[in-house]
Amino acid sequence: MGQLRRALLTPVSEIAWRLPGWPRRLLAEFSLAERGSMVDMLAAAQATPRREMRRKYFLHALDEGRHATIFADRVRALSPGRADRAEAVIEDAGLLQDHGIVGGQTLFERLGELDFLAFVYVAEADAVEQFGVYLDRNLPDAETSASLRAILKDEAFHVSYSRAECERYRKDGKPVDQAIRAVRWRRFKEGWMRFTRDFGEWTSGFWLLVLYFVAVGPFRVLARVETGGWKVVARPGAAGLAAARLEG
Amino acid sequence: MPVYILGISALYHDSAAVLLRDGVVVGAAQEERYSRLKHDASLPVRAVQWLLSDAGITASDLDHLVFYEKPLRKFERILATSVATFPRSWGAFPRQMRSWLGDKLWLRSTLCATFGVRPERVLFCEHHLSHAASAFYASPHAEAAVLAVDGVGEWATTTLWRGSGTTLEPIAEVRWPHSLGMLYSTITAHLGFAVNEGEYKVMGMAAYGQPKFRAEVDQLLRWDASGGYALDLDYFSFHWHPTRSGTPALERLLGPPRFPGAPFTPAAFPGDATPEQVADSQRYADVAASAQAQMEEAMLRLVAHAKAAVGTDALCLAGGVALNSVANRRIAKEGPFAHLWVQPAAGDAGGAMGAALWVWHAVLGNPRGPALSRPDLGRITPVDRAREMLTDLGAKFEVVDDPARSAAADLAAGKVIGWVQGGDEWGPRALGHRSILADPRSAETKDHVNARVKYRELFRPFAPAVTVEAADAWFDIPEAAREPVRWMLATADVRPEKRAAIPAVVHVDGSARVQTVDAGASPLFHRLLSEFGALTGVPIVLNTSFNLKGEPMVSCTVDAMASFHRSGLDLLYVDGFRVERPR
Repeated sequence: MGQLRRALLTPVSEIAWRLPGWPRRLLAEFSLAERGSMVDMLAAAQATPRREMRRKYFLHALDEGRHATIFADRVRALSPGRADRAEAVIEDAGLLQDHGIVGGQTLFERLGELDFLAFVYVAEADAVEQFGVYLDRNLPDAETSASLRAILKDEAFHVSYSRAECERYRKDGKPVDQAIRAVRWRRFKEGWMRFTRDFGEWTSGFWLLVLYFVAVGPFRVLARVETGGWKVVARPGAAGLAAARLEG
Repeated sequence: MPVYILGISALYHDSAAVLLRDGVVVGAAQEERYSRLKHDASLPVRAVQWLLSDAGITASDLDHLVFYEKPLRKFERILATSVATFPRSWGAFPRQMRSWLGDKLWLRSTLCATFGVRPERVLFCEHHLSHAASAFYASPHAEAAVLAVDGVGEWATTTLWRGSGTTLEPIAEVRWPHSLGMLYSTITAHLGFAVNEGEYKVMGMAAYGQPKFRAEVDQLLRWDASGGYALDLDYFSFHWHPTRSGTPALERLLGPPRFPGAPFTPAAFPGDATPEQVADSQRYADVAASAQAQMEEAMLRLVAHAKAAVGTDALCLAGGVALNSVANRRIAKEGPFAHLWVQPAAGDAGGAMGAALWVWHAVLGNPRGPALSRPDLGRITPVDRAREMLTDLGAKFEVVDDPARSAAADLAAGKVIGWVQGGDEWGPRALGHRSILADPRSAETKDHVNARVKYRELFRPFAPAVTVEAADAWFDIPEAAREPVRWMLATADVRPEKRAAIPAVVHVDGSARVQTVDAGASPLFHRLLSEFGALTGVPIVLNTSFNLKGEPMVSCTVDAMASFHRSGLDLLYVDGFRVERPR
């Protein structure tokens, strides 16, 4: 799995880091992901019934927050005085929700403690591998590489503590390998779902556009933008339950 | 059996939930404080969970769940606007339809499935009626003119009502796309700030400029003889473009827009900027000043119309525009009303409260109760839980018998502190429950807190909190603004002879967005101010929201600890515990 992933990562990374404007985009996406992880880790610190884990999750969250700032600073450094999608990502926390990174139930609530730890272990190990490829291939600029190296040290620690916690569960007879497999499958499935969602959005957007020109256009002759000024309101003042149940 | 009504606002921005028990607000919570996403628009699942558990009930105990909008009417407006602006709306149409056909159109079933209530218990209240109700029913006034001004709800963007007892009678409305809220948001976007987030930054920026673009911004807005207004739509694209709110004509009129995050270096603090950069920044400040002056005068016109049409002594203001504290000051000072009331969450979050109060009073016909008097309506962390969390997170802390006195001493010694006490504030302002506090007597404090504590723009001003007893000695508060200043919703001039004593909270134009604190509503915070006054002779502290740039205010102990670690705060006070900064 690792070799296959690395084999795929290498050419993709080579292309991604060399396309104009893409380093900024990648770094902005990393910033967003780290910020989302911070939210998840803080939620875990709050929700875990294992009191000894709170500090670990909390410190992990602080690391993720710091990484988010480092990546955001690199985005700004690479695009001084410019506004583009990359800046929008680091300035607008709402995009965390749009990207499905956070929102709804927290990761900890959805997975429970063991699967959450397995998720942390797998995700952090993947990040270490991914950043390693970037550095091995000398893809980012020198300053970004220095930042990545500093972040890699933290990520390596996250891998080691989450693996140690998983091992603790294994000694207690818990199905750790099963949890790790489930997490890997889940990450693959979620990636696929994101792809299908994006594809579905594109497809539905296309058909809605066709509908717009075919079905909406002809009604243009009947429609007018409202004129301004005060309009006297002639709505009935009645406010019974039946009226309140109406959606329109 | 008590009657429980749950009000919900969501799916645009600032989602929130409010629980009434027999018409009395028992809790009000904004989803962003739980999800940690600023302006979170999703259904307020966590906020509702907290409200129900705090009240000791389940969803099956709810008599009514009321949503703050009529979704089908809103959909009608979106569809009709797409048709009317064909073919320019081609980019927005697929996005809007996908969003509506995907989920927003099936709101009743979504609400039932999400919150576990039966369909017949789900009600819907018009957007502007929710705003109007949030201001009127929460106010102490039996008779009032009610003016709601915001971006848009269903069709209305500005509405005027006559409030009397338990009835709200609609009088007139201005309809989409003619919208003062959208006008101000368009200028906000032009100045490089996020819409629905950066409007108050425009207010802060305005003080550094002169209204030199007044003639230009006046071209954007026309007034008619009846006191109504219309936008010149040649300058706006928010009603048909998916992302941009102004047209190239607007850029020709006001000059090139400012890039988000670009340095702001006006003539007042040029730093090491080039003369061109200073000139650019000054132009942005002048545009902001022009738009702000226009908004203030527009509100004065609308208020004058409200007085002529309704004739009461009191005015209740609602909608996002009612959060413009500089305009509120002018309404209080120059307007025809003797009393002004603005609800602390005047924006969309407040719609949850208005919808719930509307059901209780107007639908169910129950009499009015006491006015809203406290800001701390959100989540409370029990002291034992806070202690346990601090211990588990490895905090170095001590129990303090008198947090007010201890914090006052720390502030007097120049420390900048995080202050988390009791429940979350309702609304966007920190009012002494989730605040960052500092000594206002040093001019450097402002730059220090902006740059080293909150990591935000240097031009942003800070607000003072003052005991209500001492307020008049320090600030020239218009008589009609006595209620809004309790929620930090109107500015006031700092008395000229006092300005040198509190430079950190005096804006460049000599004003301050003051909060008056009374012992009844916020006893601990009031005592802190009194103790600080006893130590220093100044019963005022710098009070800003306890959050970092781009994040919502902290809510629970874990959030507070995380922000404490990530900021330049010196100390943290959490519910009677004094936490020292980790080395």
